[in-house]
Amino acid sequence: MFFLSKLAFKNLFRSKSRTIVSMVAIAFAVMIVVFAKGLIEGMIDSVSADHIHYNSGHIKVIDEDYYKRERLLTLHYPVDGFDGQGLEEMITALESVEGVEMVIPRLKFGAMVSTEEELVAMNGWGVNPEQELAFTDLEEFLVEGRMVAPGQQEVVMGTDLLEKINCRVGDKVTILFNTAFDSLRGITFRIVGRLESGLKMLNEIVFYLPLDQAQKLLYLDDQTTELLLVTADKKLVPEVLPRVKSLLAEHGDERYQALSYRETSDLIPLMDLSAVIYNFIYIFLLSLSCIVVVNTMIMIVKDRTKEIGMMSALGLESKDILQLFVLEGAIMGVIGSLAGAVSGYLMNSYLARVGFDYGEALSGISSDLIFNTMIYPVSSIEVSIFAFVLGVVIVTIACLIPARRAARLEPTVAMREG
Amino acid sequence: MALLEMQGITKIYNQGKIEVPALRGVDLTVEAGEFTTIFGPSGSGKTTLLNMIGCLDKPTAGRITFDGQELRELDKKALAMVRRYHVGFVFQSYNLIPVLTAYENVEFAIRLVNKYHKKEIRDRVLQILDAVGLAGLAGRKPNELSGGQKQRVAIARALVKEPKLILADEPSANLDSKTSEEVLQVMLKMNQELGTTFIFSTHDPRVMEYARRLIEIRDGLISKDQRRESEDVSD
Ligand SMILES: Nc1ncnc2c1ncn2[C@@H]1O[C@H](COP(=O)(O)OP(=O)(O)O)[C@@H](O)[C@H]1O
Ligand SMILES: [Mg+2]
Repeated sequence: MFFLSKLAFKNLFRSKSRTIVSMVAIAFAVMIVVFAKGLIEGMIDSVSADHIHYNSGHIKVIDEDYYKRERLLTLHYPVDGFDGQGLEEMITALESVEGVEMVIPRLKFGAMVSTEEELVAMNGWGVNPEQELAFTDLEEFLVEGRMVAPGQQEVVMGTDLLEKINCRVGDKVTILFNTAFDSLRGITFRIVGRLESGLKMLNEIVFYLPLDQAQKLLYLDDQTTELLLVTADKKLVPEVLPRVKSLLAEHGDERYQALSYRETSDLIPLMDLSAVIYNFIYIFLLSLSCIVVVNTMIMIVKDRTKEIGMMSALGLESKDILQLFVLEGAIMGVIGSLAGAVSGYLMNSYLARVGFDYGEALSGISSDLIFNTMIYPVSSIEVSIFAFVLGVVIVTIACLIPARRAARLEPTVAMREG
Repeated sequence: MALLEMQGITKIYNQGKIEVPALRGVDLTVEAGEFTTIFGPSGSGKTTLLNMIGCLDKPTAGRITFDGQELRELDKKALAMVRRYHVGFVFQSYNLIPVLTAYENVEFAIRLVNKYHKKEIRDRVLQILDAVGLAGLAGRKPNELSGGQKQRVAIARALVKEPKLILADEPSANLDSKTSEEVLQVMLKMNQELGTTFIFSTHDPRVMEYARRLIEIRDGLISKDQRRESEDVSD
């Protein structure tokens, strides 16, 4: 009945301050949901991106035994091609898999620099500079100097690592490491660039050097410790991974494992799970704001008792009266949720530009966790729509409580005196 | 056939463990077109009786036949339909919807009834507002109307759907004596012009004067039922 909807709308203006308080409560809750969801999605995106860039690629191809001892950075289980036939051929084969856009070798090894006071432990990453610049954010992190060049004995390091070893860009540094034959070697490199990022690992532990230099110095010619496969989007991984696996199987070399970025991260599946759990928190939060709405509506029903009785006396059925009050609540829900969804969206759009730094809170945490302390909340229409719909649905359902009270009133209350 | 027949109507309210007998065996027959008052002191059972007649409540015992229909057999929804189509109500405290204009308040009742065309609705509402003396005030909200004007809107709202019966519970109790008489005159005029049956309760002797039939109720029983010739009725 259209005229009931019109009446429900007009009724909103009867007690303006109550209506406004209710709508503000809804708007606030919806805005928080948008913010929280945007933040969590942003966090998951950023954690995934960092993990993909600086650890796993979209798919990591690695020796099974190396994977088990990955933290030790052993050089005993390198990737050296199918049946030891060399890396180049293997890279070419992997590059031809449909969906694989790039194959990036990284040769990781443990190293040390001795300063006057201490031995500073670090990780060397032998890389193809061009690929790294294309795939990761190194270009952006490179605040001084330049990236290493192939064929040169040079390194690039994070600001904190440089500080620990008391060096600067332009200095020379002697780095000690174990070769593939477990012999100790010390080589002097020129520091050509300095990195600064929100990633503790890149800041404090890693130094980059050209892959060819790493291979030569470690006696691992045409070998590496891992291959990172890059696809156009992380969503394609479930499609591409089986093809990579079957290619590995074709070559009958059972040493190699192909792992999706999710399998190599402890954090990402956990965060996905938490995103699901958070949905319940959102429902809870919105339900809290409904206490205000339900309370307001109960007062409204009380105030309008005789009027409700009158409508019932005039022949409105219980279900019509229920509808009238649910509609009144639903309109509050729609307006409040809309305001919350829009303001949440605007807030996230702003924060998506300037970012949200929680680094201070994490300063004590071990640095081998790869993640960035800057979060950029996702500002997506979908998040706002999600919160809007959730807000409207929950408010409407909550309004059934006062609406049922109204619908149960007897028509005789209209005849009461006073 | 009488419009309304009541036999042995008893109504007992349960107030906790105490039983309050509000009606104790009322027999009453009302013919179509009557203009009847039910009078009696406060607490005598007037409202309770009107509730029974108007299908707002069911008696504890007894039979009510309205327009040939035995009410006992009807469920909640069917009773709502009887009220919607056949009974108009006028309340002591008007019970207008404050956010609606006089026009919309009257329209509310006719919109519930599925028997008029859209265009017809507008004409009927304006016509009935005119008839109760509210021409030109259709656009006013209740808070812009005097008590007497509000009660006229309520009468128009009760009349607009052409019910068989209009029940008015102390319609003038909140009005001063001059306005009370005006409201009663409007009711009487509508009774005469449209032939609608009116039953109204009151404890005001001046208001009683208008009725063609006076039914006195005391302690839940009819103690007097008196018809008057039209000459006796003051104009
Ligand atoms: N809902 C109720 N519950 C209990 N007692 C009631 C109720 N309504 C009316 N009564 C009692 O029934 C009697 C008749 O009341 P009522 O019909 O309202 O009288 P009147 O309208 O003539 O003043 C009174 O004693 C009143 O207290
Ligand atoms: Mg009464």
